[in-house]
Amino acid sequence: MSLPTSTNPPFPILAAFFAERVGDHRSIPAAVILGQSGRTTTNAVEGLPVASLGATSSLRTLALAGIALALFATPTSLPAQPSQPQVIAISGGKLLTVSHGTIENGVLVIADGKIAAVGEAGKVKIPSGATVVDAKGMTVYPGLIDPESNFGLTEISADQMTNDLVERSDEIMPHMHVYDAFHSETELIPVARLNGITNAVVAPAGEDTISGQDIFIQLYGKDRDQMIMGRDIALAMNFGAEQRRRGSGGRGGGAAGRPEYPSTRMGLITQLRQAFLDVQDYQAHRDAGAKKDDKTFKRDLKMEALIPYLKGERPVVIGVYEGYDVETIMALAQEFHLKVILNHVTHTQEVLDKIAAYHVPVIVGSIYDFPRADQRFDAVYTLPAELARRGVKVAISSADAGGPVSSHSARNLPYAAGFAVAYGLPYDDALKAITLNVAEMFGFGDRLGSLDVGKIANVVVANGDPLDVRTDVKQVYIQGVPIPMENRQTRLRDEYSK
Amino acid sequence: MHIFDPLPSGWRAALRLAAVGILSLAGSIAAAQASSTPADLVIKNATVMTASHGTIQNGSVWVHAGKIAGVGATVDAPPSAAVVDASGMWLTPGIIDPHSHSALDSDINEATSPVTPSMHMIDAFDNRSADLYRALAGGVTTELLLHGSANMIGGQAVVIKNKFGLDRDAMLFPNAPGSIKFASGENPKRVYGSRDQLPSTRMGNFEVMRTAFEDAKHYMAERDAYNAKVAKGDKDAVPPKRDLKLEALADVLRGKLYVQIHCYRADEFLTEEAIAREYGYKVRAFHHALEMYKVADKIAADQTAIATFSDWWGFKDESRDAIPWNAVISMRKGVKVALKSDSDDHIRRLNQEAGKMVHYGGATEDEAIRMVTLNPAWIIGVDDHTGSIDVGKDADLVLWNHDPLSTYARAQKVYIDGDLFFDVSLPGLGTTHFNGVMHDSGGFGSDDEIEAEDGQ
Repeated sequence: MSLPTSTNPPFPILAAFFAERVGDHRSIPAAVILGQSGRTTTNAVEGLPVASLGATSSLRTLALAGIALALFATPTSLPAQPSQPQVIAISGGKLLTVSHGTIENGVLVIADGKIAAVGEAGKVKIPSGATVVDAKGMTVYPGLIDPESNFGLTEISADQMTNDLVERSDEIMPHMHVYDAFHSETELIPVARLNGITNAVVAPAGEDTISGQDIFIQLYGKDRDQMIMGRDIALAMNFGAEQRRRGSGGRGGGAAGRPEYPSTRMGLITQLRQAFLDVQDYQAHRDAGAKKDDKTFKRDLKMEALIPYLKGERPVVIGVYEGYDVETIMALAQEFHLKVILNHVTHTQEVLDKIAAYHVPVIVGSIYDFPRADQRFDAVYTLPAELARRGVKVAISSADAGGPVSSHSARNLPYAAGFAVAYGLPYDDALKAITLNVAEMFGFGDRLGSLDVGKIANVVVANGDPLDVRTDVKQVYIQGVPIPMENRQTRLRDEYSK
Repeated sequence: MHIFDPLPSGWRAALRLAAVGILSLAGSIAAAQASSTPADLVIKNATVMTASHGTIQNGSVWVHAGKIAGVGATVDAPPSAAVVDASGMWLTPGIIDPHSHSALDSDINEATSPVTPSMHMIDAFDNRSADLYRALAGGVTTELLLHGSANMIGGQAVVIKNKFGLDRDAMLFPNAPGSIKFASGENPKRVYGSRDQLPSTRMGNFEVMRTAFEDAKHYMAERDAYNAKVAKGDKDAVPPKRDLKLEALADVLRGKLYVQIHCYRADEFLTEEAIAREYGYKVRAFHHALEMYKVADKIAADQTAIATFSDWWGFKDESRDAIPWNAVISMRKGVKVALKSDSDDHIRRLNQEAGKMVHYGGATEDEAIRMVTLNPAWIIGVDDHTGSIDVGKDADLVLWNHDPLSTYARAQKVYIDGDLFFDVSLPGLGTTHFNGVMHDSGGFGSDDEIEAEDGQ
């Protein structure tokens, strides 16, 4: 940070202290990683003191690495995976484990991109050769997971050529795969990453009743294949006013022109029910054909796409805002035994008990949606608390108020969770709502979402409470790799702060 | 402050302001009678963030007859004063939004001509809008309601005090100076370009402005010539026809209106300042101003402020280079910086937007709180009446349950002119003056959203 700061004092320079303890010259120079392109990068970023207990790295090395970073950083530079397994010990911080409480003075060891140990200082052995990161005064927590984003599907919202948000030509488009459009080099990802977002569900926009299939990503990697952790992980469904084809054009209307079927909620539901019946019929014919070894059977991609969801094998995320719409669409979902995750639900205050009785997880977003006129101002702010109080597993998304998701503001995800705390959600539930709960909803609970041994080392180090707007994230690790804490915006900042 | 213009060219503004003054006086008397506002009120044991002279731990504020009568560790209030014990709470000046389109029922842009300076936003102001209520619950006590950015020269703003529940005229900020909205960049060129009209480029944008000012100069010259004839005793002199549009532009050239310019790009700030110099007016503030960090040292010299977003970016091409450090970098280079909402959503938590400035650039607590109180008050031109906790100023105050710069703060009580307008502990809405039906204005209340629809 090149600007003077009174409330975020710079880290004490501890590297020299560590340098004095260097004795073992055998292990890897962990503070300096040589990228594939030959560029030198470093994990000593923004003044975060990093030193290797077992290497010759020192203050001087760090300084050189810092200079190298400044010289060679370009918008496209991405550090490659370390050529050798890197062992990092984050020591002395307050660990918010999410799964098993808070450790005030903790140590977290990362090895092979995974969490190798987590516990109280003194009780966790720091492996020799580990790069020790002094996190005294810092808060350490699992990377945040955004349950609904459009990362890689948009760049400049108003520039239609940069948008691949949703295929609106038909209402039922399960064969639209987000991975076919996902632009992994989008600038939205490094922007969000710097605030500690390490993973996200990427979903198509909500104008179709079935708008496609989601991917699950990590917000770091050298290409698309490194970043996509799961394809077709969930079906994106929607129900309400926005999907009607009223001929009004623009948002929630399909193409401009005269109304087309389905132009009402009756039409939407009937069309969906018919589609699900068609899939069952298709599947029966396909299976029968397969038995007879019928080579002439013509595959239908739309039908094929829906089969796993009608079998209940994967979750269906249903975007729905109004209470009465929830009741309608849940009746259909139950008829076909869909495995449901409810999404949005911002105007369902009158059916919260019913939602709890469905025993399905719920994504609340946007917590900033406007209440109805004459409703109390906090009718939406209090929803996560009200749902959690009823035993519902809650996630919170970064969705913007009053409009479609725009992941330009995904970096504000932790503040939405913090706002839910302000309006009654217990703190631990709020942190879960943007970490472990999301991971569990989408089938990544064994790999992500908490500081537990064996999980992928997506870890954030910040100078305070992760849910507070004033907190500055100092270092993000994804798969154990210390991410360069820079993006196009920091480069502009640095260029013009001189 | 605005001086009433006795000249004919200012007749409309003068009449309007005079009428507002009378009506709002009547309104406040009615309100004072209707509510049980005590003559003296003391809020004690609060962490008082004054916005002008630091934070006072365990401080007290004495309110007398709607004004701040004392502030400090102790105050000399009479024993009869009502007392609010604010132990464990924070007190700030009322939050001020210098860029809102709330409560205008989507009558934000008269997007039928790129020059519409005789539009007055007060004519669209809907004082029953739910947006006002929600902003009040977020601690917002004063708003500048602006014309949109479809036009290079838009309409004249209205300044309100958020006395939700009172009648329209009782909500107008008494004697607030007039402001006019200008725009630049993508919105005007898109709105008119999409209709194959001038302007469809930035060249066209600025030429439309210059032409308008040439028209206004000619109009003023004709009026001056007429006045000269009258002064010489020419009884046959015929007054030139009054033209509302040109009179409004003349008021800009006479410096009678604060010029508030929607502007994103660094090059356009420089062009706008050059045109202002050429025609002899001052730019009060650039709004949005997302690239100010690139030329802040130059603009600081012009004493033009900015009203900017905390961290919006990437929603349109001219916001591509937006960075969340813009506010603090610009401030450090000498520009007066306010944060604003341009949104019926963000207006509800401008305190958090200020808190983000601690994160993005290390603003001090004082600097951060000023960005949503005293600095926006200056942009609107009401900083001698509100925006800080100082003796003599209007008692526009918000009591918070947590540090207002944190994510966790909720407004507990909101006072305007010493009168309680919102109390979160009350059942129902928490309002004290509101009865009847609230209006849902719909939409997001943003320049860019509205015009994105208008322009297509």
